[in-house]
Amino acid sequence: MYKLLLAGILAVVLPAGCFPLPDEPPEEGGPTNVNARFIVEKVSISGRGSPKLSDPLRTELGQVAGQKFDQTLLDRLADRIKNELHVPDVRMHVTKSDTPDHVIVTFEIGMEREKRFDLDLARFLYHSTQGWSGQGHATININNNAFSFGMVSDGDQLAERYAGIQAGFERRNVGTDRLQLRFDFSSYHEQWNQASLLLAAPDDIYRTRTHFSPMATVLILDPLELSFGVDFARYRLSLPVAKTESSNAVVSTLRYHQRWGSARSDQGEHDIRASYTLRVGTHFLESDPVFSRHQTQARYRFRRGHQEVAVGFLAGSISGQAPLFERFVLGNAETLRGWNKFDLDPLGASHVAHGSIDYVYRGFLVFYDTGAAWDRPDQREQKQSLGLGCKKGGFQLAVAFPVRTGAVNPVFYAGMNF
Amino acid sequence: MMRRRTIKLWWVIATFLSGVAVAMWAEELSLSTQDNRLEFAAPRLHFLVGKPLERLRNAAEVSFAFRITLFSGNQTHKLQETASRFVVSYDLWEEKFSVTKLANPRRTVRNLADTAAEAWCLREMSMDVTGVGAKEPLWARLEIRAEDSKDGGLPFGRGNITDSGISLTSLIDIFNRPPAVTQTHFNVETGPVTLDELRHSR
Repeated sequence: MYKLLLAGILAVVLPAGCFPLPDEPPEEGGPTNVNARFIVEKVSISGRGSPKLSDPLRTELGQVAGQKFDQTLLDRLADRIKNELHVPDVRMHVTKSDTPDHVIVTFEIGMEREKRFDLDLARFLYHSTQGWSGQGHATININNNAFSFGMVSDGDQLAERYAGIQAGFERRNVGTDRLQLRFDFSSYHEQWNQASLLLAAPDDIYRTRTHFSPMATVLILDPLELSFGVDFARYRLSLPVAKTESSNAVVSTLRYHQRWGSARSDQGEHDIRASYTLRVGTHFLESDPVFSRHQTQARYRFRRGHQEVAVGFLAGSISGQAPLFERFVLGNAETLRGWNKFDLDPLGASHVAHGSIDYVYRGFLVFYDTGAAWDRPDQREQKQSLGLGCKKGGFQLAVAFPVRTGAVNPVFYAGMNF
Repeated sequence: MMRRRTIKLWWVIATFLSGVAVAMWAEELSLSTQDNRLEFAAPRLHFLVGKPLERLRNAAEVSFAFRITLFSGNQTHKLQETASRFVVSYDLWEEKFSVTKLANPRRTVRNLADTAAEAWCLREMSMDVTGVGAKEPLWARLEIRAEDSKDGGLPFGRGNITDSGISLTSLIDIFNRPPAVTQTHFNVETGPVTLDELRHSR
């Protein structure tokens, strides 16, 4: 009986209180994660959205294979996948491989996240000759439908300053991921510079304009996509007798965007964007002005380590009589930086050619712009400008100088996302 | 007659065993003394469970912040407090745990079963009780918090880490904030007990 009693006591006490303690004395130093000594044999991605991963990120994920297991690096890559694909969660699974001391890492991508409400400052800029420009939007997403409302005041991009509201509806998936639909509405009030008013004909200047623009975008063959639709614009002229005109145009844009490599690798990261846009104002759509506007834009960017080089190109031409908001402008915060657009072409031009090269090292920026804008061939005159400043993420601050004889008035600008 | 005697003895054994079991269950944090050090054990408390264990089995390291507070008087006077941080990882190939105490110098033990890894952390939390009255009633509270985010594997941010691991003030501060809803945390208490009782119960 006493044996039974003893056995009972031991049965309760032993599992509860006695544990094997380490045989070996504690070591000092060394990595805190015991798995840091294993080699990553393979990295794979599973789940919806994995085909949309950019090439640079794919390259970086591929580079992990063959390296020692690094939790911090893998967590960072999981975060990058999450941010790039806008998914709520990326889970990392690590399992033993068939080879001893090797592991397999699998990133499992969760369902795509829909941010119900989003506020963004699409553009914010101060330009020493053109003043403040800003554009912001609020977006509500409901079941793959995005409703946006925004306000804008922009004195930089066009010959006029326009301020007003923008509203839009976007359906990102119409039966297939390859087709998107978008409807935009905007309403603006215009302000004109004295130089523009002096040169313009009375029926060129308008006080207000509204646009309604339904567009569809088709992903033809990744990364090539085509947008097509119409832009119905109505503008009220600044004549003694109020008169409203319409400029209704068929719009189509072909876009190409390709990115490959990694900024951290020896090969660096390459990014090419190119687009061709055609806008045709036609009587068929009951447009008052009849015109065709062609615009080609391309930008190549190369990044390696702390260095970045970007080369940009813009060319365009308008035939017919286009309203002033369709005309090309040089001498703002993106083209011929350092020149004042009102000194070059106060009403914009029907032809344009522009090139720029930017170099950034550790956030320090230098750039060179050259271009010309003209209506008649004899007006074509190449202008150049130089500048320096700093650039970090979407923020840029710079001083630019026009290259010319005589007095040089530098232009200062600072802003985000332009 | 014989039958009646046997039943009585079984009742005695059953009562004794249930008493022991209840006592073991209730006393989640047990104290013992070794020279002038107060040592802790919590055999029924398992913190290598749930989400932290899930992360560990996925090759991640998980940090645990420990704090033990010793009270005297009527559990109102804080006598001593000690805090430490342990980083646990799970060897995918050996299927054993490794624990590193972030101190100066770091101390690491490897190839432990889950319960042994948990016990080692608590053994490392022992306190010097020189000067504490032998008959003074003592209460002890153990608090454990697991990391809750992927903040570099640290629940407190890297800014607080010094050569000796993490500054004691920062570690104490962690426990002064309530745990996050998703954070795995444990609190156990014991007392009153005197050092004399502990020395005699050895």
